[in-house]
Amino acid sequence: MTEFLVFLPSGIAIGSVYALVALGLVLTYKTSGIFNFAHGGIAAVAAYLFYELHIRQGWHWAPAFLVSLLVVGVLGGLLVERLAALLGSAPTVMVVVATVGLLVLLQSLMTAIYGSANIFMKSYLPTNTLFTLGRFGVTVEDLAVTGFSLGAGAGLYVLFERTRIGKSTTAVVDDPNLLSLQGTNPAMVRRLSWIIGSCFAAVSGMFLAPKLGVSVNTLILLVIAAYGAAALGRFENLLLTVAGAMVIGVMVAYLPSQVSKISSNPLVQNLPGNTPFLLLFLVFLVAPTRLLTERGVANARRTRPIRTFSRPVTYGGFALLGAVLLLVPTFVPNAEMTQYASTLGYFIVFASLGMLVWMSGQISLCQMSFAAVGAATAGHMLQHGISWPLALLIAGAVAIPVGALVSITAIRFGGIYVAIATFGFAIAMQQVGYYTSILFGQAQRIDVPRPEILGVHFTEIVPFYYLCLAVAVLAGAVVLAVRASRLGSLLRAMSDSPTALAAHGANTTLIKVVVFCISAFLAALGGVVISGVPQNASGALTGPFSVTVSLVMVAVLGFAGRRPIASPLLAAILFQLIRIYPPFNTEGFLKYQGVIFGLLAIFVAISPALNIRGAIARVSSASGDRRDPSAGPVRARLDSAPVKPVALRSTPVGAEPELVGSGKGAGR
Amino acid sequence: MSVDLDVKNVTVRFGGIVAVNEATVYANGGRITGLIGPNGAGKTTFFNACTGRNRPESGTVQLGEDRLDGHGTANRAHRGLGRTFQRMELFESLSVAENVRAGPSAHFSSFRLLGPLYATAKESKEVERRATDAMERCGITHLARKTVVDLSTGQRRLVELARAIATPFKFLLLDEPSSGLDAAETNAFGTVLTDHVAESGVGILLVEHDMALVSEICERIYVLDFGKIIYEGTTNDAMSSDLVRSAYLGEAIVA
Repeated sequence: MTEFLVFLPSGIAIGSVYALVALGLVLTYKTSGIFNFAHGGIAAVAAYLFYELHIRQGWHWAPAFLVSLLVVGVLGGLLVERLAALLGSAPTVMVVVATVGLLVLLQSLMTAIYGSANIFMKSYLPTNTLFTLGRFGVTVEDLAVTGFSLGAGAGLYVLFERTRIGKSTTAVVDDPNLLSLQGTNPAMVRRLSWIIGSCFAAVSGMFLAPKLGVSVNTLILLVIAAYGAAALGRFENLLLTVAGAMVIGVMVAYLPSQVSKISSNPLVQNLPGNTPFLLLFLVFLVAPTRLLTERGVANARRTRPIRTFSRPVTYGGFALLGAVLLLVPTFVPNAEMTQYASTLGYFIVFASLGMLVWMSGQISLCQMSFAAVGAATAGHMLQHGISWPLALLIAGAVAIPVGALVSITAIRFGGIYVAIATFGFAIAMQQVGYYTSILFGQAQRIDVPRPEILGVHFTEIVPFYYLCLAVAVLAGAVVLAVRASRLGSLLRAMSDSPTALAAHGANTTLIKVVVFCISAFLAALGGVVISGVPQNASGALTGPFSVTVSLVMVAVLGFAGRRPIASPLLAAILFQLIRIYPPFNTEGFLKYQGVIFGLLAIFVAISPALNIRGAIARVSSASGDRRDPSAGPVRARLDSAPVKPVALRSTPVGAEPELVGSGKGAGR
Repeated sequence: MSVDLDVKNVTVRFGGIVAVNEATVYANGGRITGLIGPNGAGKTTFFNACTGRNRPESGTVQLGEDRLDGHGTANRAHRGLGRTFQRMELFESLSVAENVRAGPSAHFSSFRLLGPLYATAKESKEVERRATDAMERCGITHLARKTVVDLSTGQRRLVELARAIATPFKFLLLDEPSSGLDAAETNAFGTVLTDHVAESGVGILLVEHDMALVSEICERIYVLDFGKIIYEGTTNDAMSSDLVRSAYLGEAIVA
């Protein structure tokens, strides 16, 4: 017990920083219904700006802190609020695409300017101990952070749980109809909460800079601690979120000393560091469904179904595509064939992601983690002398239960929680999972040699390309088969009305889990192909299986369209292949590739709200065409609008008006 | 194979408001039973309680010998209790035929472990047969290839009904299925229901405001007011009951 008390103050200091990050996240989600995956990116930008002003430009820390807070917190907060407002009626997957796009953009921009190395920064607040609590010396820094986060938590609680305007802001997110029923203007509170949220992220980024170093990747990964705290607060309750952050902070501080007594196994040793992630999953596992509600879905519009091509066009297109892919080695030099082979690998992963996103309306931010499971499994199998085709299938099969585990925890709460769980899983895999001996081990590397099958040597790149093509065709066929099967039609129905589907007996949770498992299976096949190109796989932060790659892929798929085969192929080409051809093979493009991908993803996600067609129509009408641009569409709408007949019914004498005609359909 | 729906003492509370209070309804299989009441009486809440969409504080729901309470919505549907919705729940991006087929297809998917993945040849044939029959019965065969968003409210109601009767449910809860239909459509609609009940033996509990339709096709009715069942009996008796007229039809009881 006394030992626990010794760790308590340092735990609270750590927890306070987590609380700041989590508060910003929960606050903005609560008031706008938009879960901001770029929250950690905002913290990172503030840390870099502070570093730039304070260290590189030599400013005193106080003005540097203030300017960074104003620029990133206030100005950045207002910009993100605009983005959130434009995403107000977007479906969950597009909200995730946009905020992940923003994260990719910020991460890529910071890396382009400052590099990916962790920049050391010495403490700027006085580090002398003010007083000691047990063995823990309390510094000005600790007091400032703890005081700030506790005060902020209390203040926000009063604003959002105890005032009318705060409550109404939250209520409007859940039921937009309430907007017309109230006199207050929730937009103001929403704007304020985005500013506060971004300021909190900025402050936490600047507080953490001297402790962890200035590194965009570290700060983005750290957000998972905030997710754990937010989950304990049910992504809603601000006080519980602060309490949750404190619990996590204390556990992170206290548990390592206890764990080292129990076991020297590095996996067990790593567990305390993953307390936030474990708590996040624990909440998903045990929370009753009604406690975690997905916010803002009442606002979401339905995505329009894509136009299907006629059969001759489809078959013709596939034949042409097949011919081109078969002929690739005849016109591409051998040196560039590796890029083509890995493009096929990424196509498979993109196809698995596309199937999940566009067919089932779920999104996974850990697709490359499934691919890593596939690559590592294949590596182990091949080391044990198992043949390549069998190793490929086993790799896919191993990913199925992993996909099931990740999805089952969060699926019942709704799409956004699946995205959160998969993001958490991807980070946990990156930080711990990849180091386990069943994946890449402490060496972080496993050989995945190219095979020799039935006397054919696939060790050379051209034969190996054809092997990759065969796997890609298999994966494409699985996607098309799913689309044409009962599962495909149930998924289409489910994306329109899960309520009606359940009312006819279909188990919608099972359907979602099944499609998630198939997606994980395919991603694992993609992982085997990708790792076969360099003939090894690693879990390095800069490697293909990192969290960052999963995120960038979500952004790229977001703007590559919604077709089951063409879109993943386009995405894979944009992501992997174009970089070897001019004008994309320049250093500048490669450096800012993520920025472009992020911008495009954001643009596609918000474009329905921008109403570009309407704007073009207005411009064209202003430039000569006098016809009112709205006249056509409105008339067309009136013509096609269903006319609701108001029938005169034979009603008994004295019937209330609500019983006839228009009164119908208004009951509870 | 007709089974009865036996709902006993169901109470649903939202915070401090009692939406349904100790409601007991017994609806025979192979018959159409009416459930009427003014707006806000708790009819849809009662349906939601039967199908597991809300959590009643107390009460039991039994379909034939099968206790349904304690199961989720999909499981109750799997056991044979189907419903339509007052605010229509159609698959908006699908065609009429695909909507109707989705009903039995979803239902059959719940009977095998791999059911959600693929349909057996036998199932596909059965789905097709049921969908064709249902569309014909509801008079919407000519609309089969149209997307449901392009239909009128009345046509959409018929698609929802066709989907429900194409699905092999044992008992159906229909929530204001004729709202939005004109007089001729409502007449045809009544015939569809009576024919379906006569041929399949399925029981129907019908929430309906159109008293002409109710008195024509329902043998018995229940009247719900402020969450309480205030009357049960034959439709004709209900019309002459002072209590019902006062609660539902707004007439003052002449002392």
